[in-house]
Amino acid sequence: MAVQNYVQTIARTLMEEMRRDDRVVVLGEDVGKRGGVFLATEHLYDTFGPDRVIDTPLSEAAIIGAAIGMSVYGRRPVAEIQFSDYVYPGFDQLVSQAAKLRYRSGGAFTTPMVVRMPAGGGVKGGHHHSQNPETHFIHTPGLQVVYPSTPNDAKGCLKTTIRGEDPVVFLEPKRLYRALKEDVSDDVDFMLPIGRGVRRREGDDVVLISYGASMGETLKAADALSDQGIAADVIDLRWLMPWDENLVLERVAAVGRAVLVSEAPHSGNMMSEVAATIAEEVLDMLEAPPLRVSGFDTPYPYAQDRVYLPGPNRILHAVQQVLDY
Amino acid sequence: MITDAQRFQPFSDEPIRLIDEGGAWLAPFSCDLDDDTLIGLYRHMVLGRMVDERLVRLQRLGKSSFVAPSSGHEAAQVGIAGAVRVGSDWIFPYYRDTALALAVGWPLVDMLGQMMGTRADPARARQMPAHPGSRALNMFTVASPIASHVPVAVGTAIAQKLAGAGDATVCTFGDGATSEGDWHAGLNFAGAQGAPIVFACENNRYAISVDLQHQTGSPNVAAKAHAYGMPGYLVDGMDVLASYLVMRDVMAAARDGLGPALVELTVYRYGPHSSADDDGVYRASEEVAAWRERDPIPRYRRFLEGRKLWGDAREDELRAALKAEIDAAVKASEAAGPVPVEWMFDDVLSRPTPQLERQRERFRAARRAAGEDVEG
Ligand SMILES: Cc1ncc(C[n+]2csc(CCOP(=O)(O)OP(=O)(O)O)c2C)c(N)n1
Repeated sequence: MAVQNYVQTIARTLMEEMRRDDRVVVLGEDVGKRGGVFLATEHLYDTFGPDRVIDTPLSEAAIIGAAIGMSVYGRRPVAEIQFSDYVYPGFDQLVSQAAKLRYRSGGAFTTPMVVRMPAGGGVKGGHHHSQNPETHFIHTPGLQVVYPSTPNDAKGCLKTTIRGEDPVVFLEPKRLYRALKEDVSDDVDFMLPIGRGVRRREGDDVVLISYGASMGETLKAADALSDQGIAADVIDLRWLMPWDENLVLERVAAVGRAVLVSEAPHSGNMMSEVAATIAEEVLDMLEAPPLRVSGFDTPYPYAQDRVYLPGPNRILHAVQQVLDY
Repeated sequence: MITDAQRFQPFSDEPIRLIDEGGAWLAPFSCDLDDDTLIGLYRHMVLGRMVDERLVRLQRLGKSSFVAPSSGHEAAQVGIAGAVRVGSDWIFPYYRDTALALAVGWPLVDMLGQMMGTRADPARARQMPAHPGSRALNMFTVASPIASHVPVAVGTAIAQKLAGAGDATVCTFGDGATSEGDWHAGLNFAGAQGAPIVFACENNRYAISVDLQHQTGSPNVAAKAHAYGMPGYLVDGMDVLASYLVMRDVMAAARDGLGPALVELTVYRYGPHSSADDDGVYRASEEVAAWRERDPIPRYRRFLEGRKLWGDAREDELRAALKAEIDAAVKASEAAGPVPVEWMFDDVLSRPTPQLERQRERFRAARRAAGEDVEG
C-alpha cells in the first residue's frame, strides 16, 4: 500500500499497464513531454518514448478517431481528453464510430480503448471546465462509462478497462485530483469488476446513492446525519454503464428511503435512471419517493461554482424530506 | 513535403491521364502490366457495373431498402483496389465503393446479404444497405456519418507505422467529405505523424445536389494536400490505368515510409445520389449524357482491343459468367432468410449489461403474451 492522490494514481497505473503490455499506448494533447496538464501522464514519455506516448495535434476528433483505429489494429490505446468539456469535437467519434463498431460489424471489429477525461465542477472553471457529461455517454449504447471517486477505485477501474474489450469513457473527478489521498493497492493486477458499486457506509434509515466527485459531499452529509443519530447507507455506483442495479435495489428495498446525488444537470441525469428503475422494481417497498439532488438545468455557473454543486446542506434537506414523508 | 511518387507529379493543373478517350496510351513511359492484370482490371470494372445495375433493380423490386449507385466510379475504385495488398494493408471504404469492395475480394454473397439484410450478411444485418466491411479483408465496416472514418483510418496507419511491418492504409470518400472537420483532423494528424496512408477522394462533383463550387473554394481537392505537408495527385478517375498506377505508386511510397498522400480521382456518378434522390432537380440530363459518352468501361475496352486482348466473344463470355455468379449470389442471399429478431440485442458490448438483459426479458415476455413465436 502506498498513500497517493488521485492523479498520481492515474499516472502510476498507466505506467504499470504500459510496462505489463506493450500494446498499451497513450495519446492526447500535451500528454508527452509535459506529462499532461494535470500530470496524469507524468514520466510516461521519458520511460516509453514518443511511439507509445503520442503528443497529438489539438484535435479531439483526431485523438479519439485514431485511438479507435489503433485499437482495431491490435493496440490498447488510452486517450486523454484534456477536459471532458472538450470531448465534443470528438463526440461523433465516440458515438458514431466507437460505440457502434462491434454492433454494426456484427462483432467482426471491436474497439477496446479507454478515453480518460477529467470532469466535474468546483474548480472555478466556469461552464467549459466544470461540466459532467456522463448522461451523453450512458445514453449511447455500446460504451461503458465509469466515474471512480477515490484513488484506489481509480486504479482498479483503470486496470479493468485497459484490459477490457470495450470502448470506455473514463471520467475522473478533477476537483479530487489532489484533494484526497488514500492507501492505494500496490497489486499490479488489482482490478475492480465491471458494473459493481460499493457500499461506503452501512445504515438502515436512508440510502444515499452517488458517484464521482459528489461522493465527497455525500459522505459529508452521511457524517452529519450520523451526528444526528440517523444511519445512512451510502452507495458509490462507481460504474454508470453498466450500473449496479442489484446493489441499489437490494438496499433501497431494505431501507425504503433513498436520496440520489449527482452534480450533473437535473433533467435526465444518471439519477433519473436510478429513480425510474427503483420505481419500476421496488415501488411497494418504498416509504417515500426517491428524491434527487443534482446540479441545475443551467450551464455551469462561474460565480456560483460551489453552490451549484449538491453540497451537504441540500442533501440533508432532501434526507429530511424523505424521512418526514 | 515528404516526397513525390516517382513517375507522377503532384499538384498538376490537369488530371493525370494514361489513356485517351479512344483508349490510346498517352504516357511517355510504356505500360508495364502483364495481360492478366490488364484483363483483371476490366473484369472487375464490369463486375462492379453489373452488380450496381442489379442492386438498383433489387431496390426497385423492394428487395433492398436503399442503394448508392456506383456506376461511373468503377475505374477509380478498381484502380484503388488494385493498389491494395489484401490481407496486410487496410481499407477504409465509404458507402459508394461497390466495385472497390468486390475487387478486393468481398464475396458477392456477403455483399448481397448486406444489401438485402438477410442472414447471408456476416455483419448480421445490423446496418442499412451500402455499408460494407470485412475482417478477413481488413476492410473496416462503413459508418454513415460522412468522413468519420478518416481519423480512424489514420489511427490504424499510425499503428501500422509503430508495428514497422511495412503495410499501408487506404481511405476513400467523396468530395463532400472533404468539408467535414474530421477530414481535416485526419489529414493533419497523418501529416504530423508521417503515417503510411493514402487518402483517395472519388470526386464526382456532387455531394447529393451540392456541386463542387459550393463545396469548396479550392481549385480542386488535391490542392488541399499542400496544407498538410503531403503530395496531392489529381488523376483522371475515369482512366483505370491512371487510377491504378498512381495509387500503386503512392501506396508503395507509403509502405516505404515516405508518408501520406492525397489522391483525387475525378469521376462522374451516372445514377442519382441514392435510391432516395431525384438528380433531375439539380443537374441537366445533357450533362449526364455527355459524361456517359466518356464511360470508363468502353474507354478501357478500346485500350484492350487495341492490344488485341479483348473482343465481342470474350465480352459475351465474361458477362454471361458474371451474370450467373450474381444470380447465384442473389438467390443464396434470399434463401438465407431474415435474421432472428433477438439478434438485435447482441454485439453491443463484449457482454450484455444487466440493464439490457432485463430489457430483453421484458421484450420477450411481451411478445409471448402477444402470442408471438419468441424463438424465431
Ligand atoms: C455527417 C453527415 N452529414 C450528412 C450526411 C448525409 N449525406 C449522406 S451522403 C451525403 C453527400 C456526400 O457527398 P460526397 O462526400 O461527395 O460523396 P458521394 O455521395 O458524392 O459519393 C450527405 C450530405 C451524412 N451521411 N453524414
